[in-house]
Amino acid sequence: MATTTLEPRAGTYQRSWVLDWLTTVDHKKIGILYIVNSFLFFFAAGILALLIRSELAIPGIQFLDQNTYNQAFTMHGTIMLFLFIIPALSGFGNYIVPLQLGAPDMAFPRINALSFWLLPLGGLLIFSGYLFGGAAAEGWTGYAPLTNRSEGVGTDLWIIGLALVGTASILGAVNFIATIFKMRAPGMTLFRMPIFVWTMLVTAVLILLATPVLAAGLIALFIDRNYGGSFFDPSVGGNPVLWQHIFWFFGHPEVYIVILPAMGVVSEILPVFSRKPLFGYRAFVFATIAIGLLSFSVWAHHMFTTGSVLLPFFSFMTALIAIPTGIKMFNWLATLWRGKLILATPMLFALGFLSMFLIGGISGVMLASPPIDFHVQDTYFVVAHLHYVFFGGSVFGVFAAMYYWFPKMTGRKLNEPLGKIHFWMHFIGFNLAFFPMHQLGLDGMPRRISDYSPDAGWTLLNMVSTVGAFMIAASIIPFLINVIATFINGEPAGDNPWEGNTLEWATTSPPPPYNFDRLPPIHSERPLFFLTHGHGHAAVRPEDLEETAEDDVERRDGAV
Amino acid sequence: MQPTVASSRLRKILRAGAPMFLIGLLAGCLLPPEPKTEVGKDVFNLYIIVLFLAGIVFVAVEGFIVYAIVRYRRKPGDDTLPEQHHGNTKVEIIWTLIPTVIVFILFGFSMATLSEIEARSENPGVVVQVDGFQWDWTFRYEDGPVFNSEGGEPPVLRVPVGEPVRLVLNSLDVNHSFYVPQFLIKRDLIDLGENGRDNELEFTITEAGTYAGQCAEFCGTAHADMKFVVEAMEREAFDEYMAALASGETPPPTGGGECSTTIEIKANNTQFDIGEFEVPADTDFCIAFENQEAVPHNVAIYDGGEATFTGDFVNEPGSITYNVPALPAGEFRFICDAHPQAMVGDVTVTE
Ligand code: HEM
Ligand SMILES: [Cu+2]
Repeated sequence: MATTTLEPRAGTYQRSWVLDWLTTVDHKKIGILYIVNSFLFFFAAGILALLIRSELAIPGIQFLDQNTYNQAFTMHGTIMLFLFIIPALSGFGNYIVPLQLGAPDMAFPRINALSFWLLPLGGLLIFSGYLFGGAAAEGWTGYAPLTNRSEGVGTDLWIIGLALVGTASILGAVNFIATIFKMRAPGMTLFRMPIFVWTMLVTAVLILLATPVLAAGLIALFIDRNYGGSFFDPSVGGNPVLWQHIFWFFGHPEVYIVILPAMGVVSEILPVFSRKPLFGYRAFVFATIAIGLLSFSVWAHHMFTTGSVLLPFFSFMTALIAIPTGIKMFNWLATLWRGKLILATPMLFALGFLSMFLIGGISGVMLASPPIDFHVQDTYFVVAHLHYVFFGGSVFGVFAAMYYWFPKMTGRKLNEPLGKIHFWMHFIGFNLAFFPMHQLGLDGMPRRISDYSPDAGWTLLNMVSTVGAFMIAASIIPFLINVIATFINGEPAGDNPWEGNTLEWATTSPPPPYNFDRLPPIHSERPLFFLTHGHGHAAVRPEDLEETAEDDVERRDGAV
Repeated sequence: MQPTVASSRLRKILRAGAPMFLIGLLAGCLLPPEPKTEVGKDVFNLYIIVLFLAGIVFVAVEGFIVYAIVRYRRKPGDDTLPEQHHGNTKVEIIWTLIPTVIVFILFGFSMATLSEIEARSENPGVVVQVDGFQWDWTFRYEDGPVFNSEGGEPPVLRVPVGEPVRLVLNSLDVNHSFYVPQFLIKRDLIDLGENGRDNELEFTITEAGTYAGQCAEFCGTAHADMKFVVEAMEREAFDEYMAALASGETPPPTGGGECSTTIEIKANNTQFDIGEFEVPADTDFCIAFENQEAVPHNVAIYDGGEATFTGDFVNEPGSITYNVPALPAGEFRFICDAHPQAMVGDVTVTE
């Protein structure tokens, strides 16, 4: 039996806890830093969203003048994506991936710390535009030649900040890939890795391939703006469509960077709370890889109306993504089938993810049809679609992860009634805020407008949407109370409160430095199931018991 | 069949049916505006097909989720494990085929519609160059007039109905997008430099009327204000309008086509020449207004203190024809907004 014992580094002197957190290279602490930092940026970007929604509630300019409005949605989109949702999921990855692999830490702990600390720095740079005459105001996509020609240092700060955040992600991705390939415990073959680890792996590969392209584009843009370059400005021989190609060559994989880890979280939670294995593990892994590959061939579906792209090709490739995504959906549904569902808060958020991501996926396939896109491109239909994917998908995934792994991270279980109040307010508020946007878009309301005419007939739905937005904001209150109260005096969780089957539940909550005193044998993707339900149980497959040649090799070259 | 089975069957049907009904209701709303162009009709029809497929997928998947939550919820105290299904290759192959088939159907329909949209006519009824710039539009006709925005009102693109209209979309600065929701189509204006080719957009409007349009690609500070109006008129009216413009006269009325009733009003010495007029209720009518002096005047119609119609000012001797929207039966007043004390009269709207 593979047993790993690790000596914690002897600490002879007591450091202050502040210094301890500032200098930590422990993946668990870094993971928590990521998550806390992400939520702070989430609240900032959320306040911007409330400003946007307040302005749009009724026609006429109320609170924000045009420039302030344009800055608000640019900062909202940029911060939500680059400083909330991606880092939040990386944070859970940081905490959980080494645990799920049975590893003592990430492969490069110091790089891990660096890639975290670049984030708040980049985020503050992006925001600091507000101190120097106004933040960037060109939308999160920063289309040229508008970005080439806009005055003000806000856009330059936005470029530099994003470049730093991008660098952080690249470093993080390298670290995840190295960890996943080199740090697996003996017996943990690739096809025994939990799905969450698989999704983090594919995500890391996407980041590694896509983000440098964005970085290159940002540098070119910076040169255009500050050193008289002419990459994107047509008046000096550049090509503005080139920016769109570069941006979306990164931007579309980015969408999967945001959604795949959330799919991973859901694929951990659904089986545990249905008390069954994930249906079709291998199919799920291949579907994840297929989505990753396809995501590099669909970028121009964001550019159908430019008249500069080959419509049938990009339309077809985009529609193809529906196939692996459909496979995943069926796998999740089959996991529920004949299960014994426990509707605790993590499960509610996971089921919420299924329902909301379903809507985002369907509207995505609709947008893949160029004629339909010609009507709704750049309208609120797209705003609805992107929030059903990012918010209904990824953010529900983040909250599911939060409720699921909080006990592991703190040793205390979040309060269930408060969690349920949070979920229902969040779910109802979300649909109130974003479902009406589909209709607004079909009616022709363009996105990124600070005002609309009272005669346009858009007033009622905008009002409904604003009410929903405030309901989402209100739902954060029970969540925060829950987190704080639980932290101070919550119900102790024990090692494995949800009867999870993956390795993070095989150690104490929170885990000790270097994670494990000893590891259980790993014969399947559910090592703990095996442990609790033992040999000879009808539910254990014979092949789970077989020692394979692979195991021996793994054992000899054991990564730990 | 036993009653318990039957009733559980019924419950099942209800469970599946209720969300279906709800979705039916929702789907009834999830429609684009009624299309006013021929390509728009194609897009609309395609959209209906796609929405229908989307509805089926949504109801099936969401229905299953709800069903599973109700049906497979763990009973309190039940600590046994359910059967542990790891997978089933046959089933998995079948359900890979389902999205594949849907995708191919969708793609086929999309491409068919796309070729309709992209089709270009030999002989468009009118070719207009659309110049977009921060934050306004100019419409230039082939060897013809140029329309700009005037007095804060959005610029008007006047085109004939029932004939292909071809737009050449030219940006003078950053990216913009030409979008009229009721046409169900849009296309970007991108400056591609000296060697670039401008985008073109072609459509045939099916119904005379005015349609609001707006820039759909974010273009900087006042993007939200970058609006325009498309005014589609019958060929005759269009030709008359253009001929009048070319000869320097004030063009005849546009928009609602012909007027069933036209009231003539003249202004001179800060006086209207008539003190009252009568029009039929619930029908549009026209006012042919002639200002005979170099003092600005207009005609506006008031219901008590509230303007129901405000005509443009004529600042110098000249004529204009106002299209006045239908009024309900009752008493109104007509006034010159510059001289509300001196220039005022009664309007009687009769059934
Ligand atoms: C309280 C919740 C939220 C509300 C009420 C909200 C509202 C909005 C609205 C109204 C817009 C459109 C602004 C415009 O086009 O004028 C918008 C844009 C956007 N939102 Fe959100 N949002 C929320 C959360 C999120 C989250 C969680 C994400 C991503 C994880 C996100 C990502 C974006 C992005 C990328 C844009 C596009 C920005 C752009 O056009 O440049 N939002 N949001
Ligand atoms: Cu514009």
